Amino acid sequence: MLNIVTCFKWVIDEAYIKVGASRELDLEWADYKLSDYDRNAIEEAMRIADIEGGTVTAVTVGSSDATKGIKDALSRGPEKAIFINDPAFTDLEPSQTASLLAEVIASRLQYDLIICGEGSSDLYAQQVGPRLAELLDIPCIAFVSKLDIKERQVIAERKMEDGIEVVTAPLPALVTVLPDINSPRIPGLKDTLGAAKKSVISIGKEELTGMAKPHLETTAIEAATMERHCIKFNPDAEGIKQFVDALLKEGVMG
Amino acid sequence: MATDYAPSMQQAGVGSLHEKKGDVGMDFKLTEEQELIRANMREFARQYVDPIAVEIDENSRYPAEVMAKLAEGDWMGMPYPQEYGGAGVDYVTYACVIEELSRSCAATGFTLSCHTGLASGPIYYFGTETQKQKYLAPLCKGQHIGAFALTEPGAGTDVGAGSTTAVLDGDEYVLNGTKTFTSNGPVADTFVIFAVTDKAAGTKGMSAFIVSKDTPGLKVGEHFMKMGIRASQTSEIILHDCRVPKENLLGKEGQGFRIAMQTLDNGRIGVAAQAVGIAQAALDESISYSKQRIQFGKPISKNQAIQWMLADMATDIAAARFLTYYAAYLKDQGQPYSKEASMAKLFAAEMASRHTSKAVQIHGGYGYVKGQKVERLMRDAKITEIYEGTSEAQRMVIAGSILR
Repeated sequence: MLNIVTCFKWVIDEAYIKVGASRELDLEWADYKLSDYDRNAIEEAMRIADIEGGTVTAVTVGSSDATKGIKDALSRGPEKAIFINDPAFTDLEPSQTASLLAEVIASRLQYDLIICGEGSSDLYAQQVGPRLAELLDIPCIAFVSKLDIKERQVIAERKMEDGIEVVTAPLPALVTVLPDINSPRIPGLKDTLGAAKKSVISIGKEELTGMAKPHLETTAIEAATMERHCIKFNPDAEGIKQFVDALLKEGVMG
Repeated sequence: MATDYAPSMQQAGVGSLHEKKGDVGMDFKLTEEQELIRANMREFARQYVDPIAVEIDENSRYPAEVMAKLAEGDWMGMPYPQEYGGAGVDYVTYACVIEELSRSCAATGFTLSCHTGLASGPIYYFGTETQKQKYLAPLCKGQHIGAFALTEPGAGTDVGAGSTTAVLDGDEYVLNGTKTFTSNGPVADTFVIFAVTDKAAGTKGMSAFIVSKDTPGLKVGEHFMKMGIRASQTSEIILHDCRVPKENLLGKEGQGFRIAMQTLDNGRIGVAAQAVGIAQAALDESISYSKQRIQFGKPISKNQAIQWMLADMATDIAAARFLTYYAAYLKDQGQPYSKEASMAKLFAAEMASRHTSKAVQIHGGYGYVKGQKVERLMRDAKITEIYEGTSEAQRMVIAGSILR
């Protein structure tokens, strides 16, 4: 029997972000969604719990805008959720999120395995998982594309640039997963209806020792732009020469 | 869900221009559950329906694998209570789901709404407890598929002109006649069939029966090859001395016309939602195509002629969606909704036909080619003006209601 904790983030759905004339992001009408890789994390937690037996608790940090996210997460299988909820808990940087998660998980939950997504769909800083493991003083395995539990050991395949690395670590441990690890379920109708009946423990700022000051200051957020030109060349010797010259000039070739 | 296609005002309060005025007494916001259910159906349709939509249209193939997945996700008995295997959701949610499924494939959306609204509906509303346990529960669980056999070669909008008869003989009714354009006919396990039990009584002489597909004397006749919603299966149902146990009479003798009319009122919400889904898909395709199609050195979306078509489409879709959800809301509130369901169906169907044609126009020659989604959408839209009451029949219902 394992106590599995899975962490998730309720993020702006990038499909609805509009870019303004001066590259500013218009988020006014944006909808929210469960961060993509966190769906894999929850699915993996459920898969391991099905095999090994145990309970799955989903944990998130956010403001009360995230209540729909809690239902979304619970509709994917976890038995209960912990909502670290305060109006101040928006736009946190990873170190702050990790410290809030660490305090709550250490003080209120029994855990053998913590599963996080490799990075969030909005910032993709890939920081919360490793920082949380560090604060809890447990092993951390990142970039995991396959996960097994054997005799209280995590056996994980890490997808690296030059191949697959297989590592083991004793429980309790934290892993961050890649989207290759599974195909997240699409919750059925009764899963969504049932989610509202599951237990959600809400923890406010006043119940916590405090939040670390941010290390970073966000001065502006602008849309990235890709410079594109459309230049036509004739399909002859002169045209090809001009094409090569243009590539050299643009630094595409050199 | 995002506000470009859902009447959600969830973002109210964000920014100074959207100051919340408190409880204004009229709520256009879907609940969190409704929004999640809609998003899940969108994802379901993208994953399982989009990849096969062209092929099942081309081959007029029944998407059995998708129906099995729908059953797995508890989508087959949406509005009916959990005790019968349903999910017990409201009709607004039901409309959202049919809309999202139809946005990917109108034929699949209709197969589900025909099963749920037309076939399961009358058994739930008029069936005995025994009938519900025996027939409704397998329908809700998706173990069985349902069909509704009302139309006859000589009785379309004029439902009362039906000539299929049912004669009581001992403990059985003996059914004889031919039903036509029976949606889900070739794949159904359970039929709700209408027949005349007392010819002299006119529409009050019609009765409804629950008939299993394996009842001797019931035969699936000609399969129709249709212009649109080709993956939805449609056939004749031939009844030749088909002996149906007396206990399969739905409601009472003579209640058939009322059962049919109430079922169609209910079904109209489903067809309206289907039409909204088709039109939304046409708008999605048109926005995406017009932004990438370059003519005269710029995307055609920069042309006012295209912009006005898109603006009209978006406006009509929003209007149709509000009418549809309003009819569903009235039904959920237990209020009369027949006129509103007819208005929703009429407006949504006609605007879907109009705007899928515009979508083809925006796509130009490319829109006229097989395999292009807008070509299919234009064919699929037309039927929504015809079945479950033609646009003309809807106008009769609406006029009858306002001239009272």
